[in-house]
Amino acid sequence: MQAINARNLTKTYRTRVKSEGLGASFRALAKPEYKEVEAVKQVDLSVEQGEILAFIGPNGAGKSTFIKMLCGILHPSGGAVSVLGLSPVNERRKLALRIGTVFGQKSQLWLHLPPLDSFTLLAAIYEIGEAERKRRVDELSELFALGDFLRTPVRKLSLGQRVRCEVAASLLHEPELLFLDEPTIGLDVVVKQAIRELILRRNRERGTTVFLTSHDPADIEHLCQRAVVIDHGALVLDSPVDKLKSDNPGTSMENIIAAIFQQETGRPLEAASDDTPVEEAPV
Amino acid sequence: MKKHLRIFACYFRLNLASALEYRASFISQAFGMALSNSTFLFFWWIAFQQIGGAIAGYTYKDVLFIWAVASSAYGLSHVLFANAANLTGLIVTGELDAFLLQPCCVLVNVLCARTILSAYGDLFYGFAVMLIFFAGEPAAWLWFLYGALTGGVLITAINLAAHTLSFYWGDASAMGRMALEFTINFSVYPDKIYAPAVRALMYSVIPAGIAVHVPLRLFQAFSPGLALAALGGAAAYCAAAGFFFYRGLRRYESGNVIVTRL
Ligand SMILES: Nc1ncnc2c1ncn2[C@@H]1O[C@H](COP(=O)(O)OP(=O)(O)OP(=O)(O)O)[C@@H](O)[C@H]1O
Ligand SMILES: [Mg+2]
Repeated sequence: MQAINARNLTKTYRTRVKSEGLGASFRALAKPEYKEVEAVKQVDLSVEQGEILAFIGPNGAGKSTFIKMLCGILHPSGGAVSVLGLSPVNERRKLALRIGTVFGQKSQLWLHLPPLDSFTLLAAIYEIGEAERKRRVDELSELFALGDFLRTPVRKLSLGQRVRCEVAASLLHEPELLFLDEPTIGLDVVVKQAIRELILRRNRERGTTVFLTSHDPADIEHLCQRAVVIDHGALVLDSPVDKLKSDNPGTSMENIIAAIFQQETGRPLEAASDDTPVEEAPV
Repeated sequence: MKKHLRIFACYFRLNLASALEYRASFISQAFGMALSNSTFLFFWWIAFQQIGGAIAGYTYKDVLFIWAVASSAYGLSHVLFANAANLTGLIVTGELDAFLLQPCCVLVNVLCARTILSAYGDLFYGFAVMLIFFAGEPAAWLWFLYGALTGGVLITAINLAAHTLSFYWGDASAMGRMALEFTINFSVYPDKIYAPAVRALMYSVIPAGIAVHVPLRLFQAFSPGLALAALGGAAAYCAAAGFFFYRGLRRYESGNVIVTRL
């Protein structure tokens, strides 16, 4: 079965341009001015269940926008999409039970509370019973080595510890499909590798489909079977990772992708920009 | 329904736990609020001493009653559903994403997810006023509780309606603040001091009148017709606010700001 099927999927942001203040609000109400950004342009993509796919592209290429349409956060401006056979917008709640998400730039955990409390809340939201919750939390805590910091308020955790908790939280309801939007942003090499291994294991043991965006070519190399490159909202490349390797023996994945990107768009693929740490919002 | 009650209870517990993480600030904020409310009632007392009798048809005890209802209604709304007043922030920063990713009713999920510490002060302050001035009057208590509950729900709906404009306008926080200010002003003065046009507003677009002044009328002279009309009006207003929110949600554009949940 197909996990994701997008046809001509398009998203145009229509942002109202207005200046500050109440007066401007009223003026904008009478005569609105819009700025349009076509973030995703008629993308066709299908993903089989059990696949691990890397979604790559420079900043502003439209990766997050695409994922948000697949999760039901954004209403598409055009085209059709089905995820696990469901319409993300019309069957959002049904779909939400079956997918897991990690947005590296957004936390799902409560800053002031220990992850364990967030898990309790998630269990209520996903209708997981008391005994089952305990079992799954134990399992995830062992898998992700969460032991000590399950009981520490999230704001006192290091970034790497927090991301481990975030990924664990996204797996609590045992989703069939996992969306990871830059999950390794700001992490050091060791933690990155640990997270990759956990994702890979989940995929092998349970057949979880993984849809991953990243700026890090190593993510693709170590994790993914298929690479899709997007630029200015349109697909530039869609190829199995093995084929990319065998076509370009002896070249690193970073250079392969960069070369293809340069060839297709005439511009260099921006340097990986994921080494800036995530800043905490002021409390 | 049962599931959403469970979520609601869970949020309440976690919000309180989160508040108790900062015990000192919790207590000082709650007390600070009660103190500032008291100074207002003190000034009212002086005004009534000077003028004597009634102001715009309200006696000092009537003013105490609407203050108690308004304070507890505001407190209830901001203890249980504080996110209604925070919705613009959630919309423009894209924090709404996290709620949309979960398999439950967005509105319940969003509204219950936050509490405001000082609102506990407002909530209990209304009860304190009732205890001091209306201790032996069961009818007063009945209409106080009725007003605090419908008022709490209505204030939430007013906040919701105002901030929902952010889906359309980009940033309607000014509108939200204004709506809340009107609500409070409408709630703590005798309604007859306002011009008829403004009074029409306080029983329709910003129905603070239904929240606070109707319970007072019912306490003074019970009328089943008025009670039912008020309940019906409140329910219709809430339904409209909810409908407006879901319509707006279709236009949600999910910002990209780096976000941590507080
Ligand atoms: N909420 C929004 N409102 C208006 N425009 C937006 C919004 N979110 C994204 N955009 C625009 O849409 C385009 C695609 O953005 P998107 O966030 O999908 O890119 P991305 O590939 O995820 O980039 P990054 O690698 O930086 O995360 C960009 O030009 C961006 O400015
Ligand atoms: Mg992105």
